[in-house]
Amino acid sequence: MSVKITRGSFARPGTSLQFDTGSWRIQRPQHRHATAPCHAACPAGEDAQAWLALVEQERFRDAWETLIAANPLPAITGRVCHHPCEAACNRGNYDEPIAIHHVERLIGDMALEEDWPLPPSQTNGDPREVAVVGAGPAGCSAAWHLARSGYRVQLFEALPEAGGLLRSAIPPYRLPAAVVERELHRLLARPGIRFLPGQRLGRDFDLDELQASFAAVFLSIGTQRGRDWSIDGATPSDLHVGLPLLKEWMDVGAIPTWNSVAIVGAGNTAIDLARVLKLSGVPEVHIISHKAIPGPGVAPDDAMPAIRREIEQALEEGVVIHEHRGVQRLILRGEQVIGVELVHMKKLPDAEGRLQRVAFEGTESILHVEQVIPAIGQVVEPEGVQSLLGQRSFFRVDDRGCFPDHPRLFTGGDARGDRGTVSEAIGDGRRAALAIDRLLRQQAGDPPSPAQQPIPAEQLNLNYFETAPRPRVPVLDVARRASFAEIEGPLDTRQALGEGERCLSCGNCMACDNCWTLCPDVAVLKTREVASDGSHYLFDYGYCKGCGLCARECPTGYIVMQPDL
Amino acid sequence: MSQDKDIPLAELRRAQPRFSGFEAGHRACLGCGEALAARLVTESAGPDVVYANATGCLEVFTTAWPESAWRVPWMHSLFANAAAIGAGMEAALKAQGRSTRVIAMGGDGGTFDIGFQALSGMLERGHNVLYVCYDNEAYMNTGIQRSSSTPHAAVTTTSPAGRERMGKRHLKKDIVSIVAAHHIPYAATASVAYPADLRKKVRRALAIDGPTFLHVHTPCPLGWGHDSALTIEIARLAVQTGLFPVIELERGGVAGVMPIREQRPVSDYLRLQNRFRHLFADDVRAREELEHLQALADHNIERYGLRPGHEADPLDTEGADTVKRGGVR
Repeated sequence: MSVKITRGSFARPGTSLQFDTGSWRIQRPQHRHATAPCHAACPAGEDAQAWLALVEQERFRDAWETLIAANPLPAITGRVCHHPCEAACNRGNYDEPIAIHHVERLIGDMALEEDWPLPPSQTNGDPREVAVVGAGPAGCSAAWHLARSGYRVQLFEALPEAGGLLRSAIPPYRLPAAVVERELHRLLARPGIRFLPGQRLGRDFDLDELQASFAAVFLSIGTQRGRDWSIDGATPSDLHVGLPLLKEWMDVGAIPTWNSVAIVGAGNTAIDLARVLKLSGVPEVHIISHKAIPGPGVAPDDAMPAIRREIEQALEEGVVIHEHRGVQRLILRGEQVIGVELVHMKKLPDAEGRLQRVAFEGTESILHVEQVIPAIGQVVEPEGVQSLLGQRSFFRVDDRGCFPDHPRLFTGGDARGDRGTVSEAIGDGRRAALAIDRLLRQQAGDPPSPAQQPIPAEQLNLNYFETAPRPRVPVLDVARRASFAEIEGPLDTRQALGEGERCLSCGNCMACDNCWTLCPDVAVLKTREVASDGSHYLFDYGYCKGCGLCARECPTGYIVMQPDL
Repeated sequence: MSQDKDIPLAELRRAQPRFSGFEAGHRACLGCGEALAARLVTESAGPDVVYANATGCLEVFTTAWPESAWRVPWMHSLFANAAAIGAGMEAALKAQGRSTRVIAMGGDGGTFDIGFQALSGMLERGHNVLYVCYDNEAYMNTGIQRSSSTPHAAVTTTSPAGRERMGKRHLKKDIVSIVAAHHIPYAATASVAYPADLRKKVRRALAIDGPTFLHVHTPCPLGWGHDSALTIEIARLAVQTGLFPVIELERGGVAGVMPIREQRPVSDYLRLQNRFRHLFADDVRAREELEHLQALADHNIERYGLRPGHEADPLDTEGADTVKRGGVR
């Protein structure tokens, strides 16, 4: 617009809004949702960042519904999960990671206390039926996700009750029986899931029948057989094996009280059994581990696979762990064990670069114990699945859990052999359910994978956050643990809100107004409604010059600059 | 991600939940700290204000004939007389019995050098005017010539680094002390890196009857030689190193400071800017100048007591701009 000025005339004010400074731009800011590290690290597939944002807004029920869209057992995983989300949390680079598992437990417990019902299916009912064999964490997760997708599910379980290892092998000081009971009861009562206890594969029904009468089958049968164990062919005559011993204690509440025990193994069963023995009054409990006690400077593949917190608590309670040690010889008097000969061992690369265990001559030592208990892992019980298993100890399947020659047959959880935690089993159940859904709806290809690269801390702007301590939960004194009461107490609601506030909201807009406040060109507009990309802001590209300030200063890394020539 | 086509942008712009006295379409360079500061000032001052603007970048880039970025009464006359014009407008409004407030503003050239006499007169006569100085530390609009605000050792086109000198030989003029020496009720410094603090100071100054002064540190990507995305980062580092102390003075005495929780070395601030690039050369004079600038920062910290107390102050350099979900700061 141009206005000619002559004597006695006037100019109408013109606004700079008529000038398109957007034409200067060679790069443009864009909103981009990035995967938070907690989400990428969660074996069960939870987006903790998303539900923590709801917790911050005191929307606990919405948070719970977001959470169970991935994992239907938060009161359980909040207690037993080894929470890799917290190790990945970007806040760990700033002060301390968010106490994600404590908040998960709190909202899981809240749902149980307030009796929130599981939300209905997302889609209309599908008349097709899917069989799930084994009602442990993997099976329960698969049943839930299949039911959510509208399928009818028959959930077979060999034992009289659901839960698998949750009920039979995780001691109550980690996971009280009442929590398992209530969490599973809600799930099994959900319409669409028919629970059939006392039905054992290979005894009451077989695989062919299942495949003939169901649209798809998910085998979550776990690992029910102990690995064979001997030292140079020798086994003690009164051999007790780790997991069955632990299960027996869970069932009857009593365990032999020897004077001294050596447990061979480095996994959760070894640790749980050691703690149960110690807390039951066994004076000397040793763990013999090929691997190292996890800690600073210990490579992840050299660390004991058991959950770190449990190892720490076992040490607190007086369990002795002999790291990088193996059993070389059983010292027998007759057929009774009176001790073991230990030797230093380490994994070293051989000529082909493969890691092999090497025992170091001259490092032998004797440990006198009354019992040697192997807790070296379990394998799939072949009964009923021999044709699938062949000579292997575990099932071999693809990423989704599908068997190579059986497109409608899936597995997950411990039976895969490359799993070992409740959360991984829950994730397997979810992935298999998604794959089954795609298969039955005849959608081609793999399901959309959320496994994007998580956003690193360097892409956040931490100047906009204030340090705040991670909350601590009450922990039972060692002296009071013999009651086997739950060791860790809950977070309170106020602390949970604080954790929501501490969450850095990695890769997701938290409507902090920073871009709106800092744009020198008034090219960021705030909307009362949520814009189509989930934020509360729009870029006005008519004026945006592309300086990049908003992207640089975005606290959560939600804005990225793209070339725009 | 696609822009939401359902929301008409022009309508949305009119409905922004803040006062818009300064609009888009102005011709400031990318990442201009001064444009941001001017927007924050008008936003906090509200609609019942008239502005007098000295010659300088702000005046030029907001008012390309026949357009204006200002949505408030705004007047420009000369380089030297923004304070005098402001004083005159204030006297006229007072004579009419009106409560409309007056803000006079200029860059560092129009404040420290060319308009200094008019500013001193306005302060001495006690006019009820807020004077805002947007300090980008040189004459940027005319081609980056040194001003009395250019910091020691910075390169401008008239203070080059070479065999004779390592950039500007002289020191940055301590304008806020000189202004405060007029015994005015309120003089303060602020930075675009701390917008909440800046807004609070504008409102505070406007609530005071009498002359008030606000000195705002505003990085200039073109003149300082840094990426346009770094404007806030650099402004923040100026405060965190102690080179730009954020303070409030009442009747000449220190009434408040923004403590520095973690002091950063001045090199963190300097190395991001081409105007200080020569200080990182392998040269004994460069090392000495770096130490000199560090000593100036340490002196500021000592002089204004910018070291943190025993407990972290929520409004110190780390806490003053903490963001919250939902935008409440």
